[in-house]
Amino acid sequence: MFCQILSATILGISCEPVTIELDISSGMPVFVMVGSLSSKVRESQERVRTALRNLDIYLPPKRITVNLSPGDLKKDGTQFDLPIAAALLTALEKIPKDSLDNCMVIGELHLNGDIEGVPGILPSVIKARELGISTVLLPKANAAEASSIDGIRIISLSNLNDLISFCLDTSSTKYDHIPKSNAHSTVKYPDFSDIKGQQSVKRAALIAASGFHNLLLSGPPGSGKSMTAKRIPGIMPDLTRDEQIEVSQIYSVAGLLNSDTPLITQRPFRAPHNTLSIQALCGGGRIPVPGEITLAHRGVLFIDEIPEMPGRTLDMLRGPLEDHTILISRTAGSYRFPANFLFVAAMNPCPCGNYPLNSCTCSPFEIQHYHSKISQPVLDRIDIRVDVPAVSYDELTSSSDDPISTSVLKKQALKAFNIQKERYRGTKICFNSELSPSDIKKFCHMTEESKRLLEHAFLKMDLSARAYHRILKLARTIADLDNSDIISEAHISEAFCFRNQNLFKRSR
Amino acid sequence: MSYNPYDYTNRYIKKTDPDYPEKLKRYVNMPSGFYLKGSLPDPAKKSVAIVGARKCSSYGEQAARYFARTLASNGVQIISGLATGIDSYAHKGCLEGGGSTFAVLGCGVNIIYPKSNSMLYKSILDKGGGLISEYDLTSPALPFNFPTRNRIISALSDALLIVEARIKSGSLITASYALEQGIPIFVVPGKITDSLSAGTNSLLMQGAYPALSPDDILYELGIRREKKEEKNISPLHDPSFSKTEKQILKSISDTPLPLDNICQMCNLDIAKVSTILLQLELKGAIYQPSPGLYAIAYS
Repeated sequence: MFCQILSATILGISCEPVTIELDISSGMPVFVMVGSLSSKVRESQERVRTALRNLDIYLPPKRITVNLSPGDLKKDGTQFDLPIAAALLTALEKIPKDSLDNCMVIGELHLNGDIEGVPGILPSVIKARELGISTVLLPKANAAEASSIDGIRIISLSNLNDLISFCLDTSSTKYDHIPKSNAHSTVKYPDFSDIKGQQSVKRAALIAASGFHNLLLSGPPGSGKSMTAKRIPGIMPDLTRDEQIEVSQIYSVAGLLNSDTPLITQRPFRAPHNTLSIQALCGGGRIPVPGEITLAHRGVLFIDEIPEMPGRTLDMLRGPLEDHTILISRTAGSYRFPANFLFVAAMNPCPCGNYPLNSCTCSPFEIQHYHSKISQPVLDRIDIRVDVPAVSYDELTSSSDDPISTSVLKKQALKAFNIQKERYRGTKICFNSELSPSDIKKFCHMTEESKRLLEHAFLKMDLSARAYHRILKLARTIADLDNSDIISEAHISEAFCFRNQNLFKRSR
Repeated sequence: MSYNPYDYTNRYIKKTDPDYPEKLKRYVNMPSGFYLKGSLPDPAKKSVAIVGARKCSSYGEQAARYFARTLASNGVQIISGLATGIDSYAHKGCLEGGGSTFAVLGCGVNIIYPKSNSMLYKSILDKGGGLISEYDLTSPALPFNFPTRNRIISALSDALLIVEARIKSGSLITASYALEQGIPIFVVPGKITDSLSAGTNSLLMQGAYPALSPDDILYELGIRREKKEEKNISPLHDPSFSKTEKQILKSISDTPLPLDNICQMCNLDIAKVSTILLQLELKGAIYQPSPGLYAIAYS
């Protein structure tokens, strides 16, 4: 007696279909599973056998062979319990033979027959739709997550009995998942009006969010660096539907979606502690899972106290900051994870935090050592640097809300975003920060005065070619915020104020 | 190109050596010989020692550079100790002014201490200056060596200038040596609230000369400024500065300020202030002691 059921396995953040083939034939009573299985998959036979027995279904004393095809694909995860059980039930003729045709089955089993949720549902459902599958059977816990995909029937099951009764009458809508009307609860970001004063910091945040420029905040402890960073995703343009699905897929694979947040609708904000390991940052594991840089995709990655971060870990950001993606190679295969994030870093001006005030107790050597912990290639990828001054008492105690709020800033950022979208239509570029030197020539037109100013400053301040390009990219975003097609003197000067200067250049 | 001490030859100069400076022979506690890299100060020219705090403020940095540069351009040799802070700025200022500068070290002449001054070592030697040390060629920088080498710094000079010093500091030790040796002491006055100026201000109290401009020192040395440079006009009276530029300049002092505070003090928006700050920086009226912070530059 042979039968087959379709399921899926996760590879990186994409998904590959897997067919579960099951055969019951005469021979020594044995349960064999083959097809490049990890131990997690192998354990599945014990769960399936026990769960079925607890429903008073006993396996016949025959040779049971399960093959997960394609055989050369490494399979991992616990989502094969339910399809294996379904295949067994079909083979035992407990459910009609053709009831699960054109269906994908995913789910983990408890020993009592209850069905448990698994990570990676969203990519699996998307794959099923691509393959033209009409119905996906999945755990109730994952149903909300799957419902964000249109055009496919979602059957949510809470135990094995549900599976049997669904298969006996596939036309009944008893198990169909009905999405709740307001399933996508919107998480509110904290508002910029909570931050009193700090005009230049807010301006820098706006420029960073509008042009997707990486940002370095430097200031004494308690001046509001983390507060600022947390508010940045709030002023970035909303995610489009496609981007929401893209980000949600990552979170689905990482197992971070639940019934409360079935779909990521807001830009992610990730703030890992600076002691995190390289694997946690970039993604890793024998079968790689997404790291923080991938979880921050299309959002903000914030690292506080960046000089305290081990240099090796920090340097891992060099590639992803350039390529917006990371390729992780393991013996099990190579996986490409997206990593297009806005990098926001924070640091104190010196180890004690008070430099350049006289209350600073650090020696010049200590300060230099502190700064030199951030490697130059990483600094080179950060376009904006802004000082966050300590908040004055008047600002702190003022009762009125600051006029510069998230909604005001977002409106401006959106305008600049639309200008960029229009300008870079038909190219691969989305934001000003992605311009290459040749693009800069093409897109950054300057007035004669600004050309002269830039030339003067370039000679006087002894700038490098890289600094020159960085200033122009920044000035392009500032001009966009000003709704100006041509870069004027004022735009260049402002870019100069916010440029990321060489921290080590202590003496002139 | 960084400095390699072994690229330069050493000499040991004994008391009997004709090159042994006459100035040192006047005092009893001078070394019987010392190592030299480069050359010795020209006895025909005047020398001024400039010393001060290692951890100086941007005011101290500005003052040390300004004095050293102006003195050097009037043919004065600058002597200091090549420590971080004021010492380094004095050497740098002298080199900027086209003079030659000499350093008396607290370690062997083949030891670069502090490492960050490696470039400065090289330029001192390449610009006709010299490194002097009474310690062995590779003697490490021992803390108790530094106060004792100060007696040579003051003995080699015709006047001593102290820029910034805390109440207990090596610069005050240099001052007491200078007093014993009968060398005039000049002091750059500081704020009474600033701990970095407490030592220098107390010297003023005890009768040291206040150095309000390099001219004060040049006058004492009997040097008349060769070409009368045009009097340093404050940008506030300079007609080439616009009204808003002056307004912003008024709110900037020698205490470094971030952009935000400047905006608040002048009640202007960032775009406007940033434009003018860049202009002022390009004109050399202000500078950034640390990225993102602005302070007045003394030219």
